[in-house]
Amino acid sequence: MLETRIYSNSNTYSILHILLSSIKGYKSSFYLAKQLAKRDIKAQYRQSLLGILWALIPVFINALVWILLQRSGAVKLTDTPIPYPVYVLIGTTIWSIFGECLAMPITTVNANIGIITKINFEKEALISLGFIKLLFNLLIKLGLIILVLSVYHILPSSSIFFFIPLLLLTMLFFVAIGTLLAPIGVLYADISRMIPIAMQLLMYTCPVLYVLPKEGFLRQIMMYNPLSYFIIDVRNTLTGFDVEHWFFWLGAFVVTGIMALLAMLVYRVSMPIITERMSA
Amino acid sequence: MGEVLIKAEGVSKKFAKDLKRSLYYGLVDMANGVMGKSKTRNLRKDEFWAVRDLNFEVRRGECLGLIGHNGAGKSTLLKMLNGLISPDEGTITMKGRIGALIELGAGFNTVLTGRENIYNNAAVIGFSREEIDANLKDIIAFSELEEFIDMPVKNYSSGMKVRLGFAIAAQLKPDILLIDEVLAVGDLGFVLKCFKKIDQLLPQTALIFVSHSMPMVARICNQIVLMDHGKTEYQGFDIPTGIGLYYNKFSTSENSVLFDDGSLEVSSFTLNVDENNTLKRGEDLVVVLNFTIKSSNVQLVPSVYLEFRDKEQRPIAGAIVKDKKVEIINNALRYTITIKNIPFSLGLYSIDLTVGNFETKEPILRINNFCSFQVASTTQMWVPIELDANFTIENHTV
Repeated sequence: MLETRIYSNSNTYSILHILLSSIKGYKSSFYLAKQLAKRDIKAQYRQSLLGILWALIPVFINALVWILLQRSGAVKLTDTPIPYPVYVLIGTTIWSIFGECLAMPITTVNANIGIITKINFEKEALISLGFIKLLFNLLIKLGLIILVLSVYHILPSSSIFFFIPLLLLTMLFFVAIGTLLAPIGVLYADISRMIPIAMQLLMYTCPVLYVLPKEGFLRQIMMYNPLSYFIIDVRNTLTGFDVEHWFFWLGAFVVTGIMALLAMLVYRVSMPIITERMSA
Repeated sequence: MGEVLIKAEGVSKKFAKDLKRSLYYGLVDMANGVMGKSKTRNLRKDEFWAVRDLNFEVRRGECLGLIGHNGAGKSTLLKMLNGLISPDEGTITMKGRIGALIELGAGFNTVLTGRENIYNNAAVIGFSREEIDANLKDIIAFSELEEFIDMPVKNYSSGMKVRLGFAIAAQLKPDILLIDEVLAVGDLGFVLKCFKKIDQLLPQTALIFVSHSMPMVARICNQIVLMDHGKTEYQGFDIPTGIGLYYNKFSTSENSVLFDDGSLEVSSFTLNVDENNTLKRGEDLVVVLNFTIKSSNVQLVPSVYLEFRDKEQRPIAGAIVKDKKVEIINNALRYTITIKNIPFSLGLYSIDLTVGNFETKEPILRINNFCSFQVASTTQMWVPIELDANFTIENHTV
């Protein structure tokens, strides 16, 4: 029996049906995602001498600036529980992962707009593709973190076992937001311009470069900013401290779950419309 | 007859002319889609129907030729058939595996080698890893790029890229094949090879072929849809009629003067055609040209060359007229040219006129598409000349 496809204008599918077809899309397109990830990673490094170092250089430079500022006494910072260079390097590395995750869906869709408008394939492949590339970059960054930790003789405690689950949950959280933004972000370039600026700004309202102050206005802001808890606890698991905010993580788990489902739904429904508008 | 694999019923699609508005409508459509509301069916501001109310079906083993001017809606229709965009009205039913030769080499990364890109492109168009591994040798062999397969695709010529792309796509064994003007860049050898492959696939496949090359359409299609501004203008199984209508869209009565040194002018001319500008095949064509000579530079009777072109603008025949013996007396010359038993097949033909100096052969006047006429015939042929063959057919013993 031949597979029959019917294309029409009807939108009468139930939410459950859309979610199921989205899951089917992720499953059936995984080989394609892997293949395209291989393509992108290979191509990225084939025409480059420094290769994978480019994943680290921006993070490294950013951290270096702050290390110098702190050393020179130009900015006065509260003492950190671990040596400041370790604190700031881990902070900026994790922060860069947040930003990459958030921008990933828009970046990936835009980079592949050529095949989207020409070839009929499961568009979920693009999200998987982006995720694989994120994980690849993550490995490189973890290498840097392990190096720094061993240079400063910092030993993680048993809380290190929470590192991977917490980080993955965080990544999923940002990818879900990014995917929800993607339909608008692909149509209008404003969103993708806004993301790096917003992330830069948000960084200063989180304990990325400096610890949570004991009191004052900045402390208030950081306490209200949920991103603070992501960064504090993920860094804790790496540097031998305990996870402090379990209630927050429980909430994050629920919220991420709901947003992920919503993102799948929105992405599935909006991709044909994106295709139409980008190729007209 | 094979089963119906492609069926289009009342298919319509609208587009917005203005980008900002198009993006905004996209946003509205998405919001409606997420809420589960259906799209509005009426035209909104700045929208137009890119495809309007198309109906056809294609069976296994059949080929539908989709023709029309640029922007007639062919590619939009193809995108709907391919499932890239959904119709705003109507229904498309597609049965079986769909292969699309719309964009060859999609997913190529030019830094990577041909071999690596075979995997990329094949994955994009729907091969599994096992299928690619199994077909890798055939793909490389078909592309005839063995020598360059480990070179970056960046350094390929556009023809080579198309070769590789087609070689990959040709390994799909589709039930439905959509082809959009992709073979244009290949060299002749490769185009012929592609047609051979298409011929092989055709018996098991329902094919839709978009092209501006009417010889190609005539070669493989058994059904034609002629589109004009999104609507069907002709639809049916009579290929020559469909192609004829397509050509009529572009037939202009305007001639173009390529060269004129001012010393001579065509005062009038006649062709022995009927009121429909038509001549029967096998009749004599009589062209009468009246010239006025306006300069004393013209001492000898100029030579006249008539070149006949068919509707594809291919030059197919010529006639040279010159005579030294005639003297110019009152600066008005009449040439009566009779061409015996015109052998042209049914269709529209045009004449290019060249008037030149008798001795130096320097041109005096050149007019392309000087005039045109229709040839009527009982048989329809694709080629421009129908030869009269004398033959006998008899039973003979071996």
